[in-house]
Amino acid sequence: MPVTETTRDIPGPEIASFSGSNKLLAEGAHSGTFRPWKEYEKVSFRVAFLFFIIISIPNTAGWYTELFHFDWTRLNYRDLYDIARFDSGINFSRTFLGSPLLGYANWLTTLVVAIIGGLLWTTIVRVRKTERQEYNTLYYWLRVVVRYRAGIGIIGFGFTKLFPVQMPYPSLGLLNTNFGDLTAQKIFWLSVGIVPWYQVFAGIVESAAGALLFFRRTTTLGAILLLGALGDIVYVNFAYDGGVHVYSSYFVLLASFLLVKDIPRLYKLLIQERFTIPVDFYPTLKAKWQQYGRYALKAGVIFVFLFLLFYLQYINWRYDPYKQPAVAGVPQLRGNYTVSEFRINNKVIPYNPQDSVRWQDATFENWASLSFSVNRPLPLDLSNGGGAPQKDLERTFEMSGVAGGRRVFHYYADTVDKVLYLEDKYKAPSDLRNRGAGKEGAAKRGKSAAAGQDHPGGAGRDHSGVGDGDHSGAADRDAPGWISAEARAHIGNERDKIDSRAASARRDKEYGETPKKEKRNHMILHYSTQDGSRIILTGIDDHKDSIYVILDRNNTPYALSPSSLQAGKY
Amino acid sequence: MTDHVNEPWKGYEKVAFRFFFLYFLIQAFPLDPKYFAQVFSLPWSKLRYEDIFTLAHYTPRFFGETPVFADWSIVILLSILGTGIWTFADKNRTRAYDNLYYWIRVIVRYRLAIGLLAYGFIKLYPLQAPYPSLGNLNTHYGDFTRWKLFSLSLGIVPSYEAFLGGVEIAAALLLLFRKTASIGALIVVFFTGNVFMSNLAYEGGEYVYSAYLISLALFVLAFDIQRLGRLLILQLPTAPNRFTPSLSLKWQQYGRLGLKTIFIFFFVVLFGFRTHWGYHHDPYQYPETKGLTGASGLYNVTLFKLGKDTLPYSSTDSTRWTNVVFERWSSLSIAGNRPVIIDSANTENVTAVSDIKKTYELEGSDGRNYYQYEVDTLRHLLTLRNKNVRDSSDKWVLQYARPDTSRIILTGINQHNDSVYVVLDRINKKYLLQEAARTGRNGSLKL
Repeated sequence: MPVTETTRDIPGPEIASFSGSNKLLAEGAHSGTFRPWKEYEKVSFRVAFLFFIIISIPNTAGWYTELFHFDWTRLNYRDLYDIARFDSGINFSRTFLGSPLLGYANWLTTLVVAIIGGLLWTTIVRVRKTERQEYNTLYYWLRVVVRYRAGIGIIGFGFTKLFPVQMPYPSLGLLNTNFGDLTAQKIFWLSVGIVPWYQVFAGIVESAAGALLFFRRTTTLGAILLLGALGDIVYVNFAYDGGVHVYSSYFVLLASFLLVKDIPRLYKLLIQERFTIPVDFYPTLKAKWQQYGRYALKAGVIFVFLFLLFYLQYINWRYDPYKQPAVAGVPQLRGNYTVSEFRINNKVIPYNPQDSVRWQDATFENWASLSFSVNRPLPLDLSNGGGAPQKDLERTFEMSGVAGGRRVFHYYADTVDKVLYLEDKYKAPSDLRNRGAGKEGAAKRGKSAAAGQDHPGGAGRDHSGVGDGDHSGAADRDAPGWISAEARAHIGNERDKIDSRAASARRDKEYGETPKKEKRNHMILHYSTQDGSRIILTGIDDHKDSIYVILDRNNTPYALSPSSLQAGKY
Repeated sequence: MTDHVNEPWKGYEKVAFRFFFLYFLIQAFPLDPKYFAQVFSLPWSKLRYEDIFTLAHYTPRFFGETPVFADWSIVILLSILGTGIWTFADKNRTRAYDNLYYWIRVIVRYRLAIGLLAYGFIKLYPLQAPYPSLGNLNTHYGDFTRWKLFSLSLGIVPSYEAFLGGVEIAAALLLLFRKTASIGALIVVFFTGNVFMSNLAYEGGEYVYSAYLISLALFVLAFDIQRLGRLLILQLPTAPNRFTPSLSLKWQQYGRLGLKTIFIFFFVVLFGFRTHWGYHHDPYQYPETKGLTGASGLYNVTLFKLGKDTLPYSSTDSTRWTNVVFERWSSLSIAGNRPVIIDSANTENVTAVSDIKKTYELEGSDGRNYYQYEVDTLRHLLTLRNKNVRDSSDKWVLQYARPDTSRIILTGINQHNDSVYVVLDRINKKYLLQEAARTGRNGSLKL
């Protein structure tokens, strides 16, 4: 590669005006030239080079094939998010000497491979007597790779805060849950969810840090921001068992690497109070194709991950917030209700907070969810309630990490015959991906130790409600028998019930899949209401008992201020 | 006390300097007689961390107890006035202000360090946001204000709170030394910048004070900001600070060392030890008096009689209780439909006060009424007083009987002189917050 080294001109008059001493000038000029690298510098560079290259590039074939399978004309924000967030490093068994090391085993394995590779590299160049004096050029390009890896990654992360969807504002059901009935992870997520503008601020900080890394002059600033913000997030994840500790540490590691060059300079300038001359090596790209190639790549990255992703993320926030169901619920039902009367198989059960059968309260969300609480133990979903499910049924943020006897059902509304077809949001676990930090079973956490956060998982074994054995996916054309053909015609295809601007190939694909074989509880309830102040629900519950429920609207305001920046369109 | 390398300052630089000198001197250095009156009235022989915290919270205030941005504008006006007089009196005789700049920066650095240490230590020993009370654990998420939720969310992770305190203390220590001051100030800009944003977002009451600390940090950082920008962004050769005050006389050297030692002893060592002691023996958020022995827990209200009427469970009746929480300390809280006037305190009130004034548990909380109680173990009497100052007429005198460890029977009269008879049965409540922390989120739980 035709590359020339450039040193920075040292403006003489400025130095003179600063120093007024010839000794200083000499000191500066001396350290301002490039020098051969010391042996230990070369060896550690080789190790660092291998290590950081390996952890900066995707390690699964899937990532590369996905890249070509996306329908780039009908993108979902998640397509770009998945490009920005991938598994990297070397993984043999997700453990290092038998221990998952809190999920960091992959780093250590990679480091061992890098050390072996680095030593091998050293031996080979020495035997062949081709050892270089320095690695300025390679160091420069390694920094480019790390800068872009970190920049793209943190922007993917930051944009879900910039348009606050990563931590949704709590649903009504969550607002009606006791503080002690939430996991620590949930409490942290909610504590950011209640202040969407603060989440936007955090998103601006993260995205700005990422954008600054795209330019070499602002790299230091970006790396400092990244280190500060993500260092805090690492601690948060350990403290709250958030499960994203490895991925956030990843950015701390990359940012620290980018700052390695600056630490001695800062030390010299501030602590030693000596004249400091930064020596940065920037290769000169001579050939036209190199220059254009550089601009095209840079412009491409900035267009895709700053502009295109910005637009897609906006669409997601506006019409399809990814953790929150997107399809609007029946308008006149939405709100909180007191259960004024509850009959089961025609027998009245009076209100009693200790009763284990009666509904204690009921809530219809803005989207198609009904939740109510019962006073009996339920198996819990302890996941983060994230991931990228397109189907509302699988968007579980409103019930994951929540106890207190709260049950949440997704419903398909036949508004012609006024019938709700309800499907339990809880299902027995299918996988154990991406749970908390530490604790047992971390090694089994599945697909991605680094991608700790946003994947759904189930938990618990059996469901106290005992399903009716029906296997169901969605209420579209593929839905099995528990919804009649006529009702299905009334309900329509859920896929198309969000704003057309949010339609995507990904959504079509997931809704088109054959329903999974999973056990879920079902209820079929007829609703009647005049104006929504009183609702009467009648029908069959998940135990095949007939129920009759009178709900009276409860308009008591919350002490918590409402959100001034609402995601979704309902 | 001069330095040989400094350049003469330009005219506008000198005017600007005079303004900022006066502005930060007034902001940072206590000139208020009320403050000194407060200093001298402190119990110096047995100083508590609350006292030192109060000392550390100084800002010039012209409009009452709470700092407001209007205070700043008064300081600005005074400084403009002072700058005019100074400029006129100086008649351009002074060549440069390097020396004065150095010393005002010292004052600001130390003032800022004090502010950070005060908050740092009450987080390092997690006093500021204590673990939620049982009453708070049994309150709906939506029944808290944002500020309370912020505090509760921090309270469940004492290790993280201690980490945040550690960052503040580290920044403060860096500020105590000239060569590391700018690094400390940079940390403060990020850290306290986040605190400021949190105060705005969570409707906290310390946004003026946090902005005040940020302004001090920016002043400290301004000294090096050009150098840092030149070195790190422009990537150009950069000259360091060349100015050091020459303290040539012995008394000056000893004086400097002595003052610094006293400062570190008082605000780091003594305050640190007092806060550590306070964490174990004198927390300021919760009462210290022990509650009814062995009663701590959540109770269902199985039976509630008012006069001769037995009131059934109701989700609307404002008289009947739904459940009762006894804390480990002498507080109990009652959930029901009796309206709560929310105590909207959102500032840090770190002062040594009596138990009834320790109102953290009810601040920003709806859904439960909180009572402080006194126990007469001889006559088996509980005297309840609503802790909310706006509801202080709400008093109960109740005789208690404890037929077994899980049941408490209360009889007596309420503030309307109605007789009540209440049977409380303990609920063996398991909190997901604690269960999940024990089993991890990889296991399965049924709650």
